[in-house]
Amino acid sequence: MLDDLDPKEFEATARAVMEACGEAPDAAARAGLLAEAGLLGVSAPEDIGGLGLGLDFAIPIVSAAGAGLLGFPLIEAMLLSRALAKVAPEVAGTICTGQAVGTIAWNGTLEAGKVAAAPLAGDATHCLVFCKDGTAILIETAGLQPEMAIDDLDLELPTGAFALTAAEGPALDAAAVAALREDAKMLRAAFALGSATTCLDLAIAYSQDRVQFGKPLSANQVLRHRMSRDTLALETTRNAITRALAEPAEGAGEAREAAWQAAAHYGPAVAESAIQIFGGMGFTWEVPLHRHLRQMLTQNAHGAAAAGLAAVAARLMQTPTNSWYEDIQSAV
Amino acid sequence: MTSHDQISGAASGEYGRKVRAWLQQNLTDELRTDRALETPPSLEALIAFEAAQHTAGLTGITWPTAYSGHGLTLREHLEANREIGLSPMPNAVNSIGKELVGPIVMAVGEERQKQQFLPAILNMQNIWCQGFSEPGAGSDLAGLTTKAEKTADGWRINGQKIWTSGAAKSQRCLLLARTGVKEDRHRGLVMFAVPMDSPGIDVRKIRSIDGQWSFCEVFFNDVIVDDADRLGAPDEGWTAATRVLSIERATNRMYRAWRFQSEIDHLVAACRSDARTFAILNEHARELAWLRMQVELLKGHVETLVDSLMAGEEIAHRGSFPKLFWSEAHQRFATIAQQIVSRFPRNGGQVLNDAKARMQDLYLTGRAETIYAGTTEIQLDIISKRALNLRKAA
Repeated sequence: MLDDLDPKEFEATARAVMEACGEAPDAAARAGLLAEAGLLGVSAPEDIGGLGLGLDFAIPIVSAAGAGLLGFPLIEAMLLSRALAKVAPEVAGTICTGQAVGTIAWNGTLEAGKVAAAPLAGDATHCLVFCKDGTAILIETAGLQPEMAIDDLDLELPTGAFALTAAEGPALDAAAVAALREDAKMLRAAFALGSATTCLDLAIAYSQDRVQFGKPLSANQVLRHRMSRDTLALETTRNAITRALAEPAEGAGEAREAAWQAAAHYGPAVAESAIQIFGGMGFTWEVPLHRHLRQMLTQNAHGAAAAGLAAVAARLMQTPTNSWYEDIQSAV
Repeated sequence: MTSHDQISGAASGEYGRKVRAWLQQNLTDELRTDRALETPPSLEALIAFEAAQHTAGLTGITWPTAYSGHGLTLREHLEANREIGLSPMPNAVNSIGKELVGPIVMAVGEERQKQQFLPAILNMQNIWCQGFSEPGAGSDLAGLTTKAEKTADGWRINGQKIWTSGAAKSQRCLLLARTGVKEDRHRGLVMFAVPMDSPGIDVRKIRSIDGQWSFCEVFFNDVIVDDADRLGAPDEGWTAATRVLSIERATNRMYRAWRFQSEIDHLVAACRSDARTFAILNEHARELAWLRMQVELLKGHVETLVDSLMAGEEIAHRGSFPKLFWSEAHQRFATIAQQIVSRFPRNGGQVLNDAKARMQDLYLTGRAETIYAGTTEIQLDIISKRALNLRKAA
C-alpha cells in the first residue's frame, strides 16, 4: 500500500526516467515518460490522477532531475498540479498526467504587461502568471507567441516571456500563491542538492583518477580538505531539507527558508569547486559541470534567493522574541 | 512513520516548558553570562547551581535512574537543551564528568564503579578533568608517553598531561596512559579514574588568551593508582571509549545552536536600545541574516543526528559535521559581533556594556572552538578519510 512507501524508493526510478528523458525528442515526450512513471503527480491529490503522497516524496525525484540535467519544467509541473488541484482539478489533472505542459512565469506581473522567466515557455500549454496583489492566474498559451530570452544562463530550460494585457483562467488566491512559493523553496533546494551532489561526485572521481607528480590529486591535503568542505556543505543542505519537511514546531517557515538559502548558497559553490578540481578540463564545454552551475544559478534567480535573504535580514533587525531579552527597551 | 517525524517534528513539549520555567526562577542576575559583572560568580555558587540543575531535571536526563539519572530519552535531552541554549546560563563546571566520563563509565565501568562515580558526577561531589592530551600528543594520541606500570599494589603512573581544563578544581582525572612503549602506538592504552589528591600529582595553571586560568598542566611523578580505579582492561577500555566518543561528539553540548541564536538575539536587542548602535547593526544585517540561517542549519545537523541515534543507527564520522559547522559559523559570528561592539559609544549604559562584554568574550573564547575537540583540520581529515575514502596513492 502507498502508506508503506518510503520516499527513497523513488530514487532509482527517478534516475532511470531522467536518463530516458535525456534521449527523448521533445518536451511532450519527456512529459509522457515522467507521467508514466507517476513522477509528475507524486505529491498531487489522487482525485486528479496523482499519487497523493507528501512533498517529501517529490524531493528525491526533483533531486534526480537536478542531477540528470532534466530538460522539462518538473518543479513547475509539481507546483501547479498541487496548487490547482482544488480550484481547477481538470487542468491540474492534465498537467500531472503529462497531457499538458505547465510552466510558471517567475518574473513580472500581469499588471506590468509582461511576464518573463517562464521555463520552456515555447513548449508550455499553460503558464501561471502572478498578479500585483499576490494572487495568480493560469493562462492558456495557445495563440500567444512567447519571446524567448537571449540571455539565459541555463542550457536545459530556455525561458520565455509573454506580453499580456488581460488574462483569463483559473485563479489562485494570495494564500495559495504563498503556499506554492513555500513548496517551491523545498523543491528548488532538492534540485540544487541533486545537481551539486553530481558535481562533487564527478570531482571526487576525477581527483582519484588524475595523477600528477606521481600521485592522484586526491592525495593532496589541500584538495582533500576542499572536498571535505564541499561534503559538509551538501550534508548541511540535506539535513536542512529533512528538518524543514518535518515542519519543526519552533519555526517551520524559518526551517524552509534555511534549507532553500543553504541550497542557493552551497549548490553553486560546490559546482565552482568541482570546476577548480577538474582544472583545465573543468573549463571545457564538454564537461557538464558548467551546465549544473548554470541551472542552479537560474533556480536561484527564479526563486529570488537574494531577496529571500534580504527579507530574513529585515526580520532579524526587528525586536527578538527571546524572553530573556524582552525587558531591553527598543529606541528605534 | 518516517524517521524524521520523531524528534525534529516534535513540538517544544512539556519537558522543555518545565526547564524554561525552572531557569526563569533560578538563573539569577549574578549567574547570568550576559551581564558585565565586576565579580564573577564563585566556584561554590556555580557548583550549587549545577547540583540544583540535576535535581530539577536539566542534567543526567538520559542516564539510568539506578545511577541518579532521570532515565529519559534523547528527546527530553534535546528539549531541555533548547531551553538551556536560549538562556544565558553559565557553562557547566563539570562538563567533562557529564559528557565524557559518564558515558565512558557506563560503557566500560564495572557495576561498583558506576555506583561510585556516576551519582557523584551529577550531584557535583566529583568534578572531573580529562587527562588525554600531552605536549607530544594532541590529536595524535598514538604519540602518548605517560606510562602506567603494574606494581604489587596497583599501577605506578609517570608522565605529563596538558590542556587539562579545570584540573585545579577537579576531584578525579580520566587519565589515558600506556602499559608498554611509545612504539606500540594505539596498543596498550589504559584508562584510569585517578583521584586528584593522590601524592605525586602536581597541577600548574596556564593562563589562556581570554585571561582565564582554567587550563592546566598536570605532572604525574610515581603516582600510585589502585587497580580498582582502572576503567576497563588495557586496550579494551580505550577501544570502547573511542566508540562512545564518536557518539558523544554528536550529542554533547546539544544546546549550541540555541545558544548561538540567543547570542544573536542579545546583540540585536542591545543594538536596538540606541539609534546609533542600531545603525551599526544594520550595516551587518545581511551577514547576520546568513548566520541566523546557519543557526537553523546547525539545528538540522543536531536534530538529524538525534533522529539517527534514536533509530539505532551508527553515527561514525557524522559527528564531525556539526562540530565543524558550528565552530566556524560561531567564530564568524563572534568576529562580526566584536566589530559591532567595538564601535559602541563610550558610556553607552548598562545594556550596551553588558552586550559589549559578552561579545568581546565570545570573540576571544571563540578562537578555541576550531581547536578543541579535534581541530578543524582534523575534522576535515576525518571526512576525507572516513566519509569519502579518498585515495592517497596512485
